[in-house]
Amino acid sequence: MVAEAIKSRSLQKTYGNKVEALKDVGVSINQGELFTLLGPNGAGKTTFLRIISTQLMPTKGDADVLGYSVVKEAEKVRKHIAVVPQDVAAYGNYTPWDYAYYFARLRGMLNAEAKDSAKRALEAVGLLELRNRVCASLSGGEKKRAIIASALSSQAEVLMLDEPTSGLDAVARRGVWSALRDMVQDGKTILLTTHIMEEAEVVSDRLAIINSGNIVAEGNPEEVKHMATERFRVVVRGKLGSLKADYETVKFGDKQIIYVNTEDEALELVKKVLKMGLNAEAAPITLEDVFVKLIGGSNN
Amino acid sequence: MNLKIIRDALIIGKMKAFPDLKRQPLLLIVIGILSAIPLFFFAVSGGGEMLSHGLVGAMVSTVGFIGVNSSIQDIGQDRYVKIREMIVATPVHPASYIIGVALAPLLLSLPGIAFFILVAMGMGILNAGALIWIAPALLLCWSSLSAIGFIISTYLYKSSPYTLNNIANILGIGLVFIPPVYYPAEMLGSLSWISYLIPTSNVAALVRGYSGLSGLSLESAVISWLILGTTTIVFTAITALKAKWRET
Repeated sequence: MVAEAIKSRSLQKTYGNKVEALKDVGVSINQGELFTLLGPNGAGKTTFLRIISTQLMPTKGDADVLGYSVVKEAEKVRKHIAVVPQDVAAYGNYTPWDYAYYFARLRGMLNAEAKDSAKRALEAVGLLELRNRVCASLSGGEKKRAIIASALSSQAEVLMLDEPTSGLDAVARRGVWSALRDMVQDGKTILLTTHIMEEAEVVSDRLAIINSGNIVAEGNPEEVKHMATERFRVVVRGKLGSLKADYETVKFGDKQIIYVNTEDEALELVKKVLKMGLNAEAAPITLEDVFVKLIGGSNN
Repeated sequence: MNLKIIRDALIIGKMKAFPDLKRQPLLLIVIGILSAIPLFFFAVSGGGEMLSHGLVGAMVSTVGFIGVNSSIQDIGQDRYVKIREMIVATPVHPASYIIGVALAPLLLSLPGIAFFILVAMGMGILNAGALIWIAPALLLCWSSLSAIGFIISTYLYKSSPYTLNNIANILGIGLVFIPPVYYPAEMLGSLSWISYLIPTSNVAALVRGYSGLSGLSLESAVISWLILGTTTIVFTAITALKAKWRET
């Protein structure tokens, strides 16, 4: 049986008696897995992560991190976690080495141990060569990786990263993903929040979709993708005419996505559309399609 | 206070001061020059005794201005860049963070203080014996002004770092350059009692008294020490009660 690294029970958070950021959230994250909380802006991802990382008290409910309550045993929880907050910025005067080394020291490591840990963390995020460059002269991706190195050098068993790749270009994002998967291979448990579908699909062992403070789906990326009845999507450019009435469609200007249940249905539809002189492409349904369906954001 | 709190405070102090010391050494000169600006005017307008009083002011200002300024600005900036959130999620006690944040400016101001003390000794204003009293007075100046800074950053925790920077500068000028710090309280005549209300002018009075620049009665000395100690304790206590390491 796999031990749970994080388990939340009926977690609720209401800000100022008005905004219900979390409504009865129960999530289980196994040790050694990368679990992603996927949701639109304002869904409650950051609130959940901040409660789990002992920065914010829940209104009701509790959560355990490695068996310690985040409400009653915050000091014990903090010995085992490291956090990269959302929209974190790097101090221009700090180097990647400063981040990795000082955070290792704050974990109680002695000088030599902290230096060794910082070196390994910077190596893991690909910044060893740039360790003595001030952050002001690094790219956005390098700065983010410097801060991730601070979490990694702490040698915490559970890492919590709040949208660590937001604002990064595709190359930098993939660099971060690679570092995250390496950490999981080293046995770390990672709680990641994101609103980038590809990120959730590529890096997660399991994920949960959160919307308006509720978990609406949970499982590995493939399981979540199968939560929609449709399996295929056909993207059509042009007016469908009477054909439109037969299918569930989502329209984007002159383009529309049509969802169908089977591959045969998709191919049949493509043939019909091509006969009408329009362009069509069929492909398996994406996580984004399922996500939009589950959170009820379709503009159909 | 256990050893871990002190150890972590030293690490945070180092973490906040050393990158600046290593990469922006000019900052040390800036800190010294800011405090020395009034000396230039004293020198031009007559020098002599006023220059001696100004030198005392420069010592107090070096540690005081940066004390109040940094405790407000650093905490605001740490919140803004979210390094504070990263520290909250470590086994660091909030007291270590506060002490560390306060220690950093002290480290940065040490070269400036040492310079002004050496100049004062060279001019015959100070002797080594007086340092036994002057050093703790300057330390209390640092701690009391840092405590004032912490209480402001605690109550204004929702303000932007830009607002906090402006408040810090206004407060720094208000506490260091306006009250009798660069000039003796006696110059205020019947209003000289005002100097008791402000930590920096108490420190300046003590330094002047112990260096022999001005008279210092036992009663005045006791009042000044008490005010400095009380300011530090009361403001630190309010910060400890009011500040939230973990948000609710």
